[in-house]
Amino acid sequence: MNNLVVEKIIREIETFAPAAESEHVGAVTAVGDGVVAIDGLSKAVMSEIILFEEGKGASLARSMEAQGELYGVILNLEEDGVRAAILGDTARVSEGMTVKSTGRVLSVPSGEELLGRVVNALGEPLDGKGPFKKTTLMPVERQASGVIDRRSVSEPVQTGIKAIDAMIPIGRGQRELIIGDRGTGKTTIAIDTIISQRNEPKERRPICIYVAIGQKESKTARIVEQLRKERALEYTIVVNAPASAPAALQYLAPFSGAAIGEYFMDKGKDVVVVYDDLSKQAVAYRQLSLLLRRPPGREAYPGDIFYLHSRLLERAACLSKEKGGGSLTALPIIETQDGDVSGYIPTNVISITDGQIFLVSELFNKGIRPAIDVGISVSRVGSAAQKKAMKAVAGGLKLELAQFRELEAFMQFAQDLDKATAERIASGQRMVEVLKQKNGAPIAMELQVAILYAAGQKFFADVPAAKVTAVEAQLAGFFDGQYSKTLTEIKKSGQLSDELKKTLDIAMNEFKLAHKEFFIVNS
Amino acid sequence: MEHQYAQALWRIVEKGKTPKDAVANLRRVLERHGRMRLLSKIGRAFARIAARESDKRAVVLSVAHAKDEAGAKRAAKEALRAMDSSALEAEVRLDSTLIGGWRLEGRERLVDASFKKYLLSLYNRATQ
Repeated sequence: MNNLVVEKIIREIETFAPAAESEHVGAVTAVGDGVVAIDGLSKAVMSEIILFEEGKGASLARSMEAQGELYGVILNLEEDGVRAAILGDTARVSEGMTVKSTGRVLSVPSGEELLGRVVNALGEPLDGKGPFKKTTLMPVERQASGVIDRRSVSEPVQTGIKAIDAMIPIGRGQRELIIGDRGTGKTTIAIDTIISQRNEPKERRPICIYVAIGQKESKTARIVEQLRKERALEYTIVVNAPASAPAALQYLAPFSGAAIGEYFMDKGKDVVVVYDDLSKQAVAYRQLSLLLRRPPGREAYPGDIFYLHSRLLERAACLSKEKGGGSLTALPIIETQDGDVSGYIPTNVISITDGQIFLVSELFNKGIRPAIDVGISVSRVGSAAQKKAMKAVAGGLKLELAQFRELEAFMQFAQDLDKATAERIASGQRMVEVLKQKNGAPIAMELQVAILYAAGQKFFADVPAAKVTAVEAQLAGFFDGQYSKTLTEIKKSGQLSDELKKTLDIAMNEFKLAHKEFFIVNS
Repeated sequence: MEHQYAQALWRIVEKGKTPKDAVANLRRVLERHGRMRLLSKIGRAFARIAARESDKRAVVLSVAHAKDEAGAKRAAKEALRAMDSSALEAEVRLDSTLIGGWRLEGRERLVDASFKKYLLSLYNRATQ
């Protein structure tokens, strides 16, 4: 035993004063599948934390060997007792065990110390980097900010993804759903958004929180590693409730993520929280509700499944200047089955959020990535936050792409196309190529503006469609290297003035002259 | 179903109805609804409720050694009063794992003044 511990023990013994405080208790009458029925605790309140007393009847030595304290959270108050979810290993709970009321509602620690760390739904560190020293407890369940405390969304969250920043812009404080089948790139969009925040100036950079719900541990480990490699972990907190965690923790994880984020929001900072994914949280909540014997409704989900998601997503806000001006942007993810957006949970979350990014397997398999279906993807409030420069270049993009998709279908039946239609199809094909983007490679807003301006000026019209992506990458490198001042100017002013447009035109001509080999054929 | 009947029976008896009348009423209701087969199950459920309620009312004073009993009863006097109980009512149990001190449990209350609790909290604070 080291000296520090010995000193601590001596100090404690010297100040020993046996306190016989009365505690409110109950006894476990039934336990199973992560849920306990408790007799007693008649003064307990909803969402109160309870402590299971494991050491009763065990020797001091055995009690000292116990693996930390075991908590539960009260979810049902009934006539003759309470029902609670166990926040840990169910096997540690036995019938007749004494349960103590703590008088605290469920809360998680939050603070700057959590940045770069991986925690569980209770805010306990999972990354082996030691406990937190100075944190603030934030209630897991909290009333969302009211109307008076909010202001309109006015600042963008730069995802670094051209297709999103141009056509489905997201504002700070918005709730934008990412929806699609499995393996269509939903998590990739969220992670790229987090990585993209490194392009933001440090003082305006949002704190990112990635909440993994019901995911494989290997996937979360891969994401953490990617964030670390990309230097994005330093401003990110990962809340992990893996598939192997009890249903109660999977249900609580998004609320914990929101609570951790609210700490920063209250301090006037911007926060982006990714909930990956809420369909798994809904399943965990259904499991809990059925075990708690709450009446099942549609698809066996409980009646308050809508409220589960609405109260979580309502916590996303853009606070008024009086409240510090912080914001919490929510990026919930929902997994669909076979592209069916009319499912129970998808329609619920679609109706709650301020827009959705819909990803399609068909596009993904065609190699169009991100596989965004522009037709049904929408951002209801984000355009107010879009930079003027981006607005200027992205104006007709969505319409052009939507028209192209229609013509593309028509093209399969028509043999001969008139010139105008053929041109529109060719232009659409090139635009689709321009909007393709590799994962893990978010692009700064100013560079996106320059590329989209070039595309809008039919710069790629003479490039074979198959080579557009390669030429675009070269052009981006050229802008970045030779015209970095112009890009900085766009970034600083947020506008695309006539002067800047002229400079970009000159740059494009220079590039054309230097790379004539790319511009040969009319495909 | 039997649990609900047993609970209703318990409440009626608690409200002052004599057990004889209460059971007679129950029999009549069961006969009217053709549920007489439930009677034995209701009996067992009633016994469980009775046992649970009796446990709820019980007050247990645990001490590490028999010689500590008198001292513990004195020390726990206030706590017993808060539980609407007295030293006479409390059932004394020996629990050597407490090491010393006493522990009073019952009527949804727990007062733990054992050495074990103190040493455990000391250990937890020192090792944190």
